[in-house]
Amino acid sequence: MKLHRSPNRVALPDGLGMSRRAALKSLSSGFGYLAFAGLSTMAAEKAQSPLAPKAPHFQPRAKRVIFLCMRGGPSHLDTFDYKPELKKHSGEPGKYGARGGAKLLGSPFEFKPSGKSGLHISELYSKVAEHADDLCIVNSMATDLPNHPQAVVQMHTGNFQFVRPSLGAWTLYGLGTVNENLPGFITINPSIGFGGAQNYGSGFLPAIYQGTAIGQERRSLRSAKVPNISNSRLSSDLQRIQLDLVQSLNREKLARESYQPEVEGVIESYELAFRMQDEVPKVMDLSKEPQKIQEMYGIGNDTTDDFGRQCLLARRFAEAGVRFIEISQGNWDHHRNLKASLTNNAAQTDQPIHALLTDLKQRDMLKDTLVIWAGEFGRTPHAQGTDGRDHNNKGFSLWMAGGGVRGGTTYGSTDEFGYEAVDGKVHIHDWHATILHLMGLDHERLTYRYAGRDFRLTDVYGDVVKGVMA
Amino acid sequence: MIQFTKNAQVSLAIVLVCAVFPAITQAEETDPNADAEGIAFFEKKIRPVLVEQCFKCHSEEGDKIKGGLLLDNRDAILRGGNSGHAVVPGNLQESLLFTAITYADEDYEMPPKRKLPEAVIADFEKWILMGAPDPRKADKVMPITSLTIDIEAGREHWAYQAPKMPDLPEVKQTEWPSSKIDRFVLAELEEKGLQPSAEADKMTLLRRVYFDLAGLPPTIEEVRGFLKDEDPKAYEKVVDRLLESEHFGERWGRHWLDVARYAESSGKEANLTYPFAWRYRDYVIDSFNADKPYDEFLTEQIAGDLLHSDSPEERAENLIATGFLAMGPKSLNEGNLRQFTMDQVDEQIDTVTQAVLATTVACARCHDHKFDPIPTKDYYSLAGIFLSTDTYYGTVNSLGVRRGSDLMVLPVKDKNPTAPSYTLGEIIDMEYQLYQQTERQKELQSQAREMQRAGDDPGNIRLQLLALNSRISDLQSKIASVDDEGQPRPFVMGVMDKLTPADANVLVRGDIDQPTDQVPRGFVQVLYTGEAPAIPDNQSGRLELAQWITDDANPLTARVMVNRVWHYLFGKGLVTSVDNFGTTGQAPSHPELLDYLALRFQKEGWSIKTLIREIVLSSTYRQSSDFDKEAFLADADNALLWRMSPRRLDAESLRDAMLAASGKLDTQPPHGSVVASAGNGLVGRTIDESIVEKEKDYRSVYLPVIRDLLPESLDVFDFADPGMVSGTREITNVPSQALYMMNNPFVISQADALAKRIVAEKEKPIDRITLAYALTMSRMPTEGEMKTTLAYFKRFIAAAEAEGKDLDAARDLAVSAFCQALYGSAEFRYLN
Repeated sequence: MKLHRSPNRVALPDGLGMSRRAALKSLSSGFGYLAFAGLSTMAAEKAQSPLAPKAPHFQPRAKRVIFLCMRGGPSHLDTFDYKPELKKHSGEPGKYGARGGAKLLGSPFEFKPSGKSGLHISELYSKVAEHADDLCIVNSMATDLPNHPQAVVQMHTGNFQFVRPSLGAWTLYGLGTVNENLPGFITINPSIGFGGAQNYGSGFLPAIYQGTAIGQERRSLRSAKVPNISNSRLSSDLQRIQLDLVQSLNREKLARESYQPEVEGVIESYELAFRMQDEVPKVMDLSKEPQKIQEMYGIGNDTTDDFGRQCLLARRFAEAGVRFIEISQGNWDHHRNLKASLTNNAAQTDQPIHALLTDLKQRDMLKDTLVIWAGEFGRTPHAQGTDGRDHNNKGFSLWMAGGGVRGGTTYGSTDEFGYEAVDGKVHIHDWHATILHLMGLDHERLTYRYAGRDFRLTDVYGDVVKGVMA
Repeated sequence: MIQFTKNAQVSLAIVLVCAVFPAITQAEETDPNADAEGIAFFEKKIRPVLVEQCFKCHSEEGDKIKGGLLLDNRDAILRGGNSGHAVVPGNLQESLLFTAITYADEDYEMPPKRKLPEAVIADFEKWILMGAPDPRKADKVMPITSLTIDIEAGREHWAYQAPKMPDLPEVKQTEWPSSKIDRFVLAELEEKGLQPSAEADKMTLLRRVYFDLAGLPPTIEEVRGFLKDEDPKAYEKVVDRLLESEHFGERWGRHWLDVARYAESSGKEANLTYPFAWRYRDYVIDSFNADKPYDEFLTEQIAGDLLHSDSPEERAENLIATGFLAMGPKSLNEGNLRQFTMDQVDEQIDTVTQAVLATTVACARCHDHKFDPIPTKDYYSLAGIFLSTDTYYGTVNSLGVRRGSDLMVLPVKDKNPTAPSYTLGEIIDMEYQLYQQTERQKELQSQAREMQRAGDDPGNIRLQLLALNSRISDLQSKIASVDDEGQPRPFVMGVMDKLTPADANVLVRGDIDQPTDQVPRGFVQVLYTGEAPAIPDNQSGRLELAQWITDDANPLTARVMVNRVWHYLFGKGLVTSVDNFGTTGQAPSHPELLDYLALRFQKEGWSIKTLIREIVLSSTYRQSSDFDKEAFLADADNALLWRMSPRRLDAESLRDAMLAASGKLDTQPPHGSVVASAGNGLVGRTIDESIVEKEKDYRSVYLPVIRDLLPESLDVFDFADPGMVSGTREITNVPSQALYMMNNPFVISQADALAKRIVAEKEKPIDRITLAYALTMSRMPTEGEMKTTLAYFKRFIAAAEAEGKDLDAARDLAVSAFCQALYGSAEFRYLN
């Protein structure tokens, strides 16, 4: 671990009883708690709360991330990758498809030049297009497999073969979080399948870096809350006394067993949970937002209500200091009924995303908030049936906006029909390296020593894509 | 397919050859076109009507294509549109075209403006009955692709090779192994220069084996008895007692229910209850308790309906077992019957092949399997088997629910039925209502037709009709749910063979509108050598499928199950990807041990109890979980088993352990289930969601499992998603779990109960504290813990009094909060 750390930079939360630090110190002087420092980076850093803010490797461009995860593989050809040639040859046999000669399918949607930059954006995202000058559209994305579970997991962890820490967990591990009363990594509405909790998991990183899930796929967010957020019979003081007992039992177990990352995780999650009780209900109370703002996000309108709530929550969490926020929208897997379903999906997200960007801007937060819109892969230029597209991992698009991103530009390109990234190909590893870079982290230096080996989010791959940066 | 290979990180034992075959038109048993008279009839009577009346909306030359239906050629007509086959030769009822032109269903009245003359309708009737002769051929020949997978090369993969009984490896430390299992483990450790860990202390071992075999902590008496017992066979005796306990089936049955994606509702868009699913749950628990041989257990679940039985009771058990195939998640609002059927078949193939063979055959629905040597053809061979099967899952058609199904009736009486009974008066009343509503339905239908004919929009009447149809379905299902005496019929979910089994057509890219070659019913080629087992023409082939799966020669079935058992006992399988033994899965850490266990499992008559007994008696299982720096650096994941890995209690064990400690646990299984009592209905509408959270004191395995609505006590601690085969569960460690232990009313009520218990049983504070530790951790508190606890009481009571509570109240609260703290402690939640 090569991160620079100064252990006294941040005031530690005092747990009303013995502070964590004092407790851990007293342990480390007794039974060899730190004797295994070489085993785990974590152990070496025990003297400090694992969530305390940490200095980045270099000046960050973005302080936080809001990741709009579009699960299912949205068609780049109908949203952000303008392909006039494809339209021209629509209906003709192309050179693609397993058997070759599958019929090309031009986008049924109009693309219009938007903003001063004139980025071509589909009519599906006409409201997002108003922010064209803030977007950097990467048109040359690629991932390893055209299969949902693998691609979703790779998008989140870089690796679909082994259980690895997620992007959010790495970010939190690298930077800590500025609000110790909230989880540093929140994922709203995560999927149950497609890798499930792996997508916000901590892998071999300490459990405290795991994302906290709010709400669930296929459930309305209207009623989503963090359950069990308050106690029916204990005041905060009494609960603290109770918790001190729990923690001293836990620490005694930890001392007995020397190295037990799961028990460390339990200890840390109790502390976080205790602090969350105050803060979470406040942040999640959308009724505190002016009516005008709620309307701007599309809350109250059946089509946009759910994603609008997610976007507004994301902004509130970002404002409150959460480091990494992921929100999501599923059902982008348009093998059939492409035209109607895409229209529907875009309608659910266009206005809320527009509102999010507008809102961040008016609060002067966009400059250091990295907003990302991405799915796990794109879709084929040839038709599946007459009104559908198949999975395509060889070329697809995503966009980034805000913190350190060169707005009003596109990066890289696919071939004339949008099948394959041909110019400036950006693999998931490169994308991960770039996100970390924007956060002030060098993906080659952000390592975690586990079982005698230094692991990275990007494994042995990844090049920072300088072209997307302002 | 070809596009991804360049990027794939896995090496493939698949050779891809691209070949294009012309499609073979659907083969009919008798070709009606051989009959010149029939053709003449079509040309004279049918074709002109089609052109004049239908082509405007149902032809490639027409203005538009409505409902996905083309009538341009015979193939198109047989295939039909979005709603199903337009014509099924010889079958008027199944021919939607006939339904439409007779105006028999108000949703499909064609032509919409005016009904055809009766004489024309009679011509169509005659034409369909004569086999719908039609000389028009599809002018476009649909190409289909066959990516030829090299099956022979695919067989090289380790999992598809027959297991071989390995020689026992030589080891240096001959005194450590207490079973053959240990020899395999030790040999690997020695090769890496590692030591196995010492045996766990008695108390740890007892707690471990109790949770592993029964899912419950030992009682204080059991701990005491075991610690006192100096017989070298003391542990063995405990194991045997646990294997005989009825809690064994509750524990291990639940593992299988994860794998079988057991649930009591359909899930998906319209989440309807399955009020009889619990019978399958009980069947699984009973089977594990009876140590039913695993091959029999599987055969009953796949083909119980086709098995011979000697008594109605046995027959009933066999039918209940087939619930395995019926209780998958379903899109009951799917408008297209064929799509629904193919999705259901897909779900069945996916479940059977993953649960039993750890093979993801369902990947081959739309294309040849991308990683494993499974061509699409194999998928449709299996699909033919399940398409020749009728699936009965209940659920009642109503608003938005189009795919309700019947249930089967058991050949035995329900001694203690869960469904409501009706008095004769109630039945007569319901029948009268049904009569009235049906009359009203007819009235509204004819009104709607008249309005339509007059060019008015009958929208309002349609809405009334929809509501009315729902009520009629509901009444019909209620009346049908009881026998002549008003007693509930003993319904069961499950499957039966269709009367006329048939092979399936390969669907291009899984698209129901693109059927091509028919493939004979059969199995996954890569998994057998020599002749495929023959399937009789008049049967679905499920029995043969079950026989093939449980044949000793099948390289996967035994391996997959022993690996599952290993996973549940060690927290990790020898193959860590327990549901995927394919090329994208993980290779076994101890391949020889896996084969040894698999072959022994078969030899011991597929006895799960014998297998578990051998494993838990091994030195490998009895190791302590103590940390060892050197070993950890060499093998952090403990793949070599140098210790027992510390494990988190699963959701059920945690909840049951709280109930056991508080003394509230009701070990009596409930009859049926909460869902059974709630009956048929739509979750969130007619079924109140709150039924899930009603507090219950029985074991967690009996809590309701409604898809997308799990009880919180299970959900928060990573219960298996009942939407899919789940051989492993997530193991998270998140603040929501901490919040649950801190604030959830169930935890608080259990803390109260434990507090009452220790106060009632002991006088002195120190004795009470000691008892609480014994009940929760199965041990005495350490000196340090006692000191901390006493200090806690002092501080808590003082603070509570300072908040204005009187001393008694402060003390009571302190005791309960203490008990809750024990539940919340890491030691209670983790197992060493």
